[in-house]
Amino acid sequence: MKWAATVGRVKGTVMDDEAIRRALTRIAHEIVERNKGADGLVLVGIVRKGDTLAQRLSSAIGELEGTTVPVGRINPARHRDDLHIRPAAIDGMDSELPDINDRTVVLVDDVIWHGRTIRAAMDALIELGRPRAIQLAVLVDRGHRELPIRPDYVGKNVATSADEMIYVCLKEFEELDRVVVIK
Amino acid sequence: MAVGSRLRHVIESQQFSRSLLEELFARSEEIKREPHKFMGRLNGQVMAALFYEPSTRTRLSFEAAMLRLGGQTMGTDNAREFSSAAKGETLEDTIRIVGGYADVIVIRHNEEGAAKRAAAVSSVPIINAGDGPGQHPTQALLDIYTIKDELNRVDGIKVAMVGDLANGRTVRSLTYLLSKFKDIKIWFVAPPAVAMRDDLKAHLDEHHVPWVETEDLESVLPEVDVVYMTRIQKERFADLDAYNAVKGIYRIDPRSLALMRKYAIVMHPLPRIDEIAPEVDDDPRAAYFRQARNGLPVRMALLDRLLS
Repeated sequence: MKWAATVGRVKGTVMDDEAIRRALTRIAHEIVERNKGADGLVLVGIVRKGDTLAQRLSSAIGELEGTTVPVGRINPARHRDDLHIRPAAIDGMDSELPDINDRTVVLVDDVIWHGRTIRAAMDALIELGRPRAIQLAVLVDRGHRELPIRPDYVGKNVATSADEMIYVCLKEFEELDRVVVIK
Repeated sequence: MAVGSRLRHVIESQQFSRSLLEELFARSEEIKREPHKFMGRLNGQVMAALFYEPSTRTRLSFEAAMLRLGGQTMGTDNAREFSSAAKGETLEDTIRIVGGYADVIVIRHNEEGAAKRAAAVSSVPIINAGDGPGQHPTQALLDIYTIKDELNRVDGIKVAMVGDLANGRTVRSLTYLLSKFKDIKIWFVAPPAVAMRDDLKAHLDEHHVPWVETEDLESVLPEVDVVYMTRIQKERFADLDAYNAVKGIYRIDPRSLALMRKYAIVMHPLPRIDEIAPEVDDDPRAAYFRQARNGLPVRMALLDRLLS
C-alpha cells in the first residue's frame, strides 16, 4: 500500500469498498428523503476528497431520482483559522460553484474531526452566495468536535483517539476505496 | 446488572443496559479493527460448551472467539444423549460439576428457562446460547451490532420481523434489545399460527414502541430499513400438517428487492431453508453473511468483558 507509507502505519480498516458504496447509497437516499426530492439541491465537495465524494453522491442521487444534481467544489484554505501558525499551503484547486443562491447546499467531506474545516468551508461558501440552507454529509465522523457543528448525514461514526488519523483512500487517488486508521 | 458495571451471566436481552451495549459494541469494533491487540487476553482460561441442541455456527463462533482470545475450549455436542443427562442427571448438577472445570459455560438447551436455572447454581458465568423458544441474547447482540455497522444507527430504524415469530428466539431477543433504543418501529409479519407472542407485544407497549402485525410482507417491504427473515422451525411443530401449512410462505427474491429501499438490509440468523432466494446473495443489501461474520468480534467482546 504505497499511499500508506507516506502517512504512517496502518492499524486497521474501518470501511472496505463495499461498505463505502453502501454508505454513499444510503446517504443519497437520506438526502433525497430529507429534502423531499432533488430539486433545488446543490452538492458542494470540500477539496480534494469531498469533491470526489460529491461527484459520487450526485450520480447516486441521479440513479434514484433520474435528475442531475449540480456539483461544485469549495477550497476553504483561505478561510482557515490557523493561517497565522500554519501559513496557507493552498493546494491548487480553486473553488468552482454553480449558482447556490436560494439553493439547499449539501456540503460533502470525507472526514469530520474538529469541525474547523467545515466552518471555513461555510464561510467560503457564504462569500460566494446565499444558500437557502446548508447541510453536511461526511463519510466518516471521528468525533472530537471543537465547534458546534454536527453532520446531517454520516457514513460511519468511528471512535478514535487524538493520536490516530483516519485516512480515506479513493480510487481516483489511491487506486482503491478504503477507510483506514493510521497511527 | 444495570449500568455497564458488573456483568455476571448472559441470560436474556433485557439485562443489557444501553451503556453496556455501547461499551460492548465499541469493544467489538476495536477487535474487528485491531484483532492482534486481543491475542492472549484470556490465556489459561477455559470455556465449556454444553449443547443440548444441535448448532454449528453458534458453537463454532463461540469456540473461535475463545481461541482467538488465547483461551481453550471443551464441550459436548448432543449433551442430551451423550452426557450424564442421559443417565438422569439434572441440569443443575451438570452445571455444578462443569463449573469446577471451566471459567465460563456456554449453554444451549431445548427448554425455555434452562439458562436461568443454570445461572442460579453456577459458580462461573453462564452464557445462554439459546434456550428452546426462549431467548438467544448473543445473537441479538450481534444483530444490533450489525444494524449499527450497516446503517450507522439503531435509533429511528424501522424493522420488519418475518416468519416464525412464535418459536423464533432470535426475534424475541432482538425485539427486547430494540426496545432499548429510540423511535423504533416494528412490523411483525407472520401467519397467525406462528404470530409474535403476547408477552413481547405487552413489553413493547410498556416501552412505547409502536408495532404492527400483518400477514402481508409486500406492503411492508417499501417501508422498512431492516427486513429480518427467520426460518419456520419445523422441529418446534408437534403436527406436520400445521408446519406444511405455513412453510415457505415468505420468501425474499429479486422481486422483493425491487420493492425495498436501496439501502435497506436483509438479515437472517441462518440457517436459511428457502426464505431467501440464492439470487439475492449478490445484492449489496444482503447483509446476512456479514451479520454471521459479526458473531466473532461480538462474542469475543462479550467473553473479554466477562472474563478479563
